[in-house]
Amino acid sequence: MKPWILLLSFLWMPSAFCETAPQYSVTNISAPPTKFKNTQIDGLTFLPNGKLVVCLPSGEIFFRDNKGEKWELFAEGLHNPLGVIALSNSELIVTQRPELTRIRDLDGDGKADDYEVITDQFGMSGNYHEFNFTPVQDTQGNYFFALGTGSSGDGVRTITRGVFNARGRPGRMHSSTPYRGCIMMHTTTGKTLPYSYGHRTPNGLGFDLKGNLFVTDNQGDWVGSSKLFHVQKDRFYGHAASLAWKPDFKGVPVDSPVEKLAKLRTRACVVFPHGTMANSPTKVLAISEEANFGPFTGQLLVGEMNKPRIVRVMLEEVDGELQGACIPFIDGSPLGRGCNRMAWAPDGSLFVGQTKHTWAGGQGIQQVSWNGKMPFEIQKMELTEDGFQFTFTQPVNRENAQKKETWPFFRYFFEYRKAYGSPRSAEEKVEVNNIHISKNAKVVKIGLTELKPWHIHEVKIQDLTSKDGDRINNNYIVYTLNRLLANTPPDPLQIKKPKN
Amino acid sequence: MPVKSKHLILSLFFTLSGFLFGSSKEEILKKGKSLYNGAGSCVACHMPDGKGQKGTIPPLFGSDWLKGGSDRSIAISLRGLAGPIKVNGKKYYSAMPPQLLFDDQKLAYILSYVNNEWGNKEPIVTEEQVAQARKSLPPSVFTPQTLLQKFPFDKKYNRKNGTFTPTFDDMISNITKPIIYRTFMPGSSPSAFAVALPGNHYFCWDAGECRLRYVWTKGGFIRGNQNHWSSNGKPVAEFNGIPYYRPRTSKLKDESFEELSKTNRNAPIYDTSEATNFPINIDGNTENPTFLGYRLINGFPKFRYSVGNHKITELIEMNPENSGIQRTFTISPPAKTTLNLTPSSLASITTDRGILTPKGLLTLTPKESVQFSVFIKPREKSN
Repeated sequence: MKPWILLLSFLWMPSAFCETAPQYSVTNISAPPTKFKNTQIDGLTFLPNGKLVVCLPSGEIFFRDNKGEKWELFAEGLHNPLGVIALSNSELIVTQRPELTRIRDLDGDGKADDYEVITDQFGMSGNYHEFNFTPVQDTQGNYFFALGTGSSGDGVRTITRGVFNARGRPGRMHSSTPYRGCIMMHTTTGKTLPYSYGHRTPNGLGFDLKGNLFVTDNQGDWVGSSKLFHVQKDRFYGHAASLAWKPDFKGVPVDSPVEKLAKLRTRACVVFPHGTMANSPTKVLAISEEANFGPFTGQLLVGEMNKPRIVRVMLEEVDGELQGACIPFIDGSPLGRGCNRMAWAPDGSLFVGQTKHTWAGGQGIQQVSWNGKMPFEIQKMELTEDGFQFTFTQPVNRENAQKKETWPFFRYFFEYRKAYGSPRSAEEKVEVNNIHISKNAKVVKIGLTELKPWHIHEVKIQDLTSKDGDRINNNYIVYTLNRLLANTPPDPLQIKKPKN
Repeated sequence: MPVKSKHLILSLFFTLSGFLFGSSKEEILKKGKSLYNGAGSCVACHMPDGKGQKGTIPPLFGSDWLKGGSDRSIAISLRGLAGPIKVNGKKYYSAMPPQLLFDDQKLAYILSYVNNEWGNKEPIVTEEQVAQARKSLPPSVFTPQTLLQKFPFDKKYNRKNGTFTPTFDDMISNITKPIIYRTFMPGSSPSAFAVALPGNHYFCWDAGECRLRYVWTKGGFIRGNQNHWSSNGKPVAEFNGIPYYRPRTSKLKDESFEELSKTNRNAPIYDTSEATNFPINIDGNTENPTFLGYRLINGFPKFRYSVGNHKITELIEMNPENSGIQRTFTISPPAKTTLNLTPSSLASITTDRGILTPKGLLTLTPKESVQFSVFIKPREKSN
């Protein structure tokens, strides 16, 4: 080995020390025996009988017996299946490019033999970026799925499915066939409707434990930084193209005045700052009662493609809307990159499927297990009248916690604009005014000199240890402060007008 | 590859001597042209225009493999080349057999012609160069890897060409059970099926319009190494064959598969809401069909779709003689039905029920519509 390579490898090493918290272990799961070379995982769930189910870009679906690590091919030939629900041991619901499909094994031989269209009442221009993401089902039995927009990385094909709409065609990411960029609902009565508008690459729907529906989106045009949205009927979430399908919207969406679009949009309940939190968020998974994953039940996990990271999200209702904080949770080696799909195993551990599809990411399956010991983490972060209240999983060391320099807060916003992404705008330090630590030392209230709504507030907590001297596992937390507890001023829109 | 100077001087000498002893460049090229175009010769595969055949036979016209000296092309001609290669950035799958019929002189004429035709501007190849290579080259057929190891590309030329690793389907020579893929296919809506049947007949069925698009048998199934399965899904599936049956479709005219494989259009030729001429007419119903799904019957796809109140199933499998496809339809509730089957000079079309006109219109009574089969097979001598 050449000396400079040795030197490089030493320089590289510190990043390898960024490891998953010691209370969580990561195990690699053997890959399914796909006929094609790659083992990227685009769908992952468990059957009622406990078998793991995975979908691959090859269009194959495999079941894995938890005992023998034996893989069984259940179905094949699907067109980019990007999500799966198991209705029974022999019946799956899959989103693939052209459809929401019910796949069944009718003769009981363990292999699917019937592929039934639940709905194909949406368009396809044939553009590669028109993904069909992650089916979920609400408690009434309605299905939701998420349609990606087309990319300017390519055009449309010679024949498109569904009415071609030239109004949705211009722009970096486009929506020239029905409902691209919408979250779709397929009702129990068999109707397929656009449920919400304004999504760019909504790679990951999920419900919280109260039945609220969420979806992530990826940074890009109209998306200053990646986001998590609380999906509500008929709302518009910012990406212009799909407005071509909103019945009351006239004109070419991407050519509309930015101010008009900004007034239409619903803000994200959580923004993932690009570069530091997540660049390409994926599946939303609630930490359920069945999960054996620490004291975080009811919160959300969100996968991230670019870094070896799973983010934890905690939300609260403020002034009638959900908003809240995100924090890296399972972070760093040996977790792989490309965390795309997640599900709770029967034993309460987390299974993660990884993918990349030519973007940053990885491939394979990993299992993340909690060892039952209490990690030292921020359990939750909540808004107060003049700042934020942090609840920790263990009592904090008062001496560290009461120092103002332990809490270096910054605030900024991302512009709403047609251009790709956004820099952090109006970034400034926010001074800490007062610190109050609860009697049990688990709750720390930070009063700030100013609390500015419609701004992202982040803090990288410095040198905080628990009472017992443990270092905090994850110290970087970001709160998307849209609304104040009282007297929230109107949304300042924070638009960037295109240069003329 | 460093060219040995001795070799170079020898080549120069023989090249000059060739000119001196009567064979002018013009004469060499003329002889080469005649040999190239001779019966059963180069032309059969590489074509008179030197452009080869899409997906199978690489072009000689402007080929980057010809550049930077003729050692490589001499080696391919003498020993053959097995395995897929990339030429001018495009993939070609057929193997090249060693050209055992030509002596050194004839091969030199042919290669000289190839080097100087269709705008190519490469040197004349001498009989001695060929003779030398015939003696010194290893005896076995080259693979792209062994060939390029011995005769690597000059950096000036090697940006797009070279080798690649074939996977799965490239290895399939005999289909033993049906293979069904949903993928992007040329000449279909984006909701397409590519199906391979045992006996190596292949077809594209379009779920966006519920119609059979085309059937082929030569040249193999769609490529397994297309990016589609490992990448972001951009490419349209590729295959080599020419369909022996391609029924008339709604808005397409005679667009080539190359044209229909384009993915970068600003607008489509048409969208499926504008589709017309659905081939099955049930009781004069003019509604467009709705795709409902498919079931595997012994692995063969049985598509189901509806028109108005009528449900149609279409099972596609091999015909009993294993020489073509059999499409078995059921219509429920039964009704007076016509099925428009485009006649084809390359295929014979027969049916077990109803009346089939020479123009390809099959008419069925309600009773016959309950279940009927259509048989399509390539005509002899054709594909």
